[in-house]
Amino acid sequence: MIKAKNLYFKYEDDFVLKNISLEIKEGSFAAIIGANGSGKTTLAKHFNALLMPAKGEVLVDGIITKKDELNARKKVGFVFQNFEDQLVYSVVEEDIAFGLENLDLNNQDIKKNVYEILKELNISHLAKRNVNTLSMGQKQLVALAGVLAMKPKCIVFDEPTTNLDEKNKKSIMGIIRGLNKKYSMTIILITNVLNDLKYADNVIVLKNGNIIFSDKKSKLRNKILKEARLYD
Amino acid sequence: MIKRLTFGQYRGKDSVLHSLDVRIKIIYVVVLGILSFAIKSKFEIIVFSLFMLCIVLLSKMSLNELIKNLMPFYFIFIFLLLMYLIFSRSQIILGLRYIWRFLMLIIISMLLTYTTTIQELISAIEKLSKPLKIFQIKPRNIAVMISVAVRFIPLMFIRFEKTREAMASRLADFRKIMYVKLLVLNLLEKMLKSASDLSDAMHSRLYNEDAESRRIMKLGKNDYISMAVVIMLILIIY
Repeated sequence: MIKAKNLYFKYEDDFVLKNISLEIKEGSFAAIIGANGSGKTTLAKHFNALLMPAKGEVLVDGIITKKDELNARKKVGFVFQNFEDQLVYSVVEEDIAFGLENLDLNNQDIKKNVYEILKELNISHLAKRNVNTLSMGQKQLVALAGVLAMKPKCIVFDEPTTNLDEKNKKSIMGIIRGLNKKYSMTIILITNVLNDLKYADNVIVLKNGNIIFSDKKSKLRNKILKEARLYD
Repeated sequence: MIKRLTFGQYRGKDSVLHSLDVRIKIIYVVVLGILSFAIKSKFEIIVFSLFMLCIVLLSKMSLNELIKNLMPFYFIFIFLLLMYLIFSRSQIILGLRYIWRFLMLIIISMLLTYTTTIQELISAIEKLSKPLKIFQIKPRNIAVMISVAVRFIPLMFIRFEKTREAMASRLADFRKIMYVKLLVLNLLEKMLKSASDLSDAMHSRLYNEDAESRRIMKLGKNDYISMAVVIMLILIIY
């Protein structure tokens, strides 16, 4: 589903991603873990073609992001860490429709998709609400609904449990797992919380812009986590 | 706090005004606004006032709601009246006429927001801006710009309040310009970060400035009747 080949990326003069090569298979649940500033979000933004490599390339479902960013972006949805800033419109149903309008769907299809997603996430009662009046958990569900409505093959979740209480953390992780198991959706979870790795099949550990581990979760050892400063 | 920061005073009611096409309502706001300034004689004032009274009744806005919505403006009315009484007593009639015009303008725009949701307004503005395409101005950009402002201005106030409280808790004294400057810079930095995040989010959701709002707008029977009434009013006044 996603391939990175010798990917380098720099902000001004400093390389924040160095020689990254990885493959995330379709239908898998991959977690990218690393300490703050290790380059996780920067890497994830390459999968959604929001950032382009300085060197190397990223392929999304066979599409080279540098050559066709729009079609690459259609395949990968992105739920941002600061989901509050992801909501464009004030009314929930209008916000969910934003991406569908961009896809040039007709009014009937937009309405149908919006209501299907609202029902799927059990938030139909929020359809007419002003997003500014929602709780953090509800805002995150609306942000997710806006992405899901566009029916991507893969979704990147950037630190989805930050800012949430225990109940909402469990709930969002349950939904993410459900998307992977029930709909075979490829999930890429960006996190710095070890607990979030619970449902992941594969783990990629980043340290200072380098991959120091990329394999099945069962092969991940404490030594690696210590090296990545995720574990004392 | 958020309740105080929401735009407009929309109330979902089953009224004639609620049922009118939003594009027509926007045009009426402009026409009636201009008309209220063109009015000179007492007869015209009475006709226009009666017309406005009928519209208020048609919108099903209660007297209570009308008084409450006008509350923030009473101070300005009293201030204007006092200014005329103190400095230009001979022109008090002229002053009253200005206050009346001001009041009419407020009621006209209040009726628009009372009977129309923000999203309906934005879609109508998008449709009305279509001719601007000749000047390479994309109507969707205008619509999204307004939507983003409506969405983020209340958020800006909340962030302002949170930052102010955080600074005050660490003994910032806002009587000193230095702290005000810090507060403004801090808020600006946060809003720029939000703008950058929003821009990423919009690109990630394939923002397409050429896409058009799919909201279907069609003129109905009430729209045509209202047009006839407004034209009659213009003819009476001129």
